[in-house]
Amino acid sequence: MRRPLAAIVAAALVFVQAPPAYAYLKFGVTVGGQAITLKWTQTPVRYSISNQGITDVPLADFQAAVDRAFATWQAVPTASISYQFAGVTAAQPGRDDGLSTLGFQNRPELDRVLASTSFLIDRVNGALLESDIFFNTAFQWSVAPAGATGRFDLESTALHEIGHMSGLGHSALGETELRDGGGRRVLAAESVMFPIAFSAGSVAGRTLKADDITGITDLYPEADFARTSGSVSGRVTKEGQPIFGAHIVAFDVARGTSVGSFTLTADGQFSIGSLTPGIYILRAEPIDDADVDSFFDAARNTDIDFRVVFVDRVVVVPKGGDSGDVAVAVVRK
Amino acid sequence: MKRSTLVAIGLCILAVGSSRAAAAQSVPAAGPGRLEVSFGALWIGQLALGSNDANDTTPTGGTLKIFSTSTDLGGVAGLEARVGVRLLQSLEAEAEGSYGTPQLKVTITGDIENAPDVTATESVQQFTVGAGVVWHPPVQAASGRLAPFVSGGVGQLRQIHEEKTSLETGLYYYAGGGVKWLLFARPHGFVNAIGLRVDARAIVRTKGVAFDDGGHTSPAIGASAFVRF
Repeated sequence: MRRPLAAIVAAALVFVQAPPAYAYLKFGVTVGGQAITLKWTQTPVRYSISNQGITDVPLADFQAAVDRAFATWQAVPTASISYQFAGVTAAQPGRDDGLSTLGFQNRPELDRVLASTSFLIDRVNGALLESDIFFNTAFQWSVAPAGATGRFDLESTALHEIGHMSGLGHSALGETELRDGGGRRVLAAESVMFPIAFSAGSVAGRTLKADDITGITDLYPEADFARTSGSVSGRVTKEGQPIFGAHIVAFDVARGTSVGSFTLTADGQFSIGSLTPGIYILRAEPIDDADVDSFFDAARNTDIDFRVVFVDRVVVVPKGGDSGDVAVAVVRK
Repeated sequence: MKRSTLVAIGLCILAVGSSRAAAAQSVPAAGPGRLEVSFGALWIGQLALGSNDANDTTPTGGTLKIFSTSTDLGGVAGLEARVGVRLLQSLEAEAEGSYGTPQLKVTITGDIENAPDVTATESVQQFTVGAGVVWHPPVQAASGRLAPFVSGGVGQLRQIHEEKTSLETGLYYYAGGGVKWLLFARPHGFVNAIGLRVDARAIVRTKGVAFDDGGHTSPAIGASAFVRF
């Protein structure tokens, strides 16, 4: 789900981790007491375009923008997911009809939600059956190549929502500032999956970043990728106690790219998989650039009361292996 | 670095000290087929590997710097061994190896959220194995006990990270020169000569922990004792 100012996580979903590769926020469901990562087991993922409710853009342009967004995800060379256009439909997104549909809906009550992704899941076996995306016509949309003033870029938003549709949760790789009238303004982001959209008129969100590429690869790795990639793992503590929800950024010092994850277990562990082998530094920061519930269930005891810190050792991600446990100690603000 | 520099200075003083006693003697030249084995200390200077900023993308497609990094492989004192064979009176072929444990350092500065600047480090085990040639020009001093030379060579570089999780390989090339100082020499016998060798080189390392495949040059100074058979 993406909002121009903040974000809400669908309550029916939980974020799960399946050690040892529990990098990134992935959607998941609990089936029979077991957490199962939400992902498509059969590809190509077929999607339809709804011809209902369209206001700002012609149907052909809407389809073209959505097709480009799907193609962008499919072009990630290290990931195996693929998508296929299944046709134009009169069905609306949000209906449990077995058809993954993208379309417009007028939802003025969701005054901070640009678009949203929903899922239909088999609660018996956790299989993902359907995923729909709606774009809120309470906002003005554009498909102009360079964007249009006062209108949100449809392709950028579709790219974000298709990330969700594919199973990715939100990334915290972004910087924001509070608006005078409430909410937040994005200063910059280094992930399409950052929960808050760039301002209207921007088309900067049409390009996947290292964080997005690593996330989708972690969910749908190419057959040989595990052999050639590596991971970093460790534990974050504050005054000796593990903390949940700390944002860990692995920065590749040679390539200048950042990939983020979180401590996702009660004992403060984190792991970032599908990394390009190399030399990394780690930065730990609280999730304070978006609402915590953009990332985690509000019931989780997410700790944001600590200072940003770098780990004082170089972390080496080996090919086909893990860095070994990295201890990260943070201090109270 | 400090330790190896002291070793080098100590050896130079020893060489000067012994030159007075030997100044009046004539020294037999090393003939083809003679083997020379040396062992000593080597210091290799710091290598700048590169700098990179962590940037986020702004709504206009620009960048917002989150923090900056600068990465170096620190200077290192290590050990070096050589085995050489005289091909001609003025030309020697030698095999060589060295070992050292330089520090890989990433200096992190300018965090946008005021995280304290940090230098993240790890120790790297560095091995080299290579081959080179030494040419002794027909120039002598101190009655033949001081022999200048120029040298060059190539070899393989292996760098193992601290947690032994990863091995980096690369190549190195070097060119330089120095002097050999004979402390003892005789025309016959199993041991032909004993002496000291001091040399300075420019070492070009490629790949390994470097960010790119290009060459990175650092200075190096070696000081060793040798026995010629």
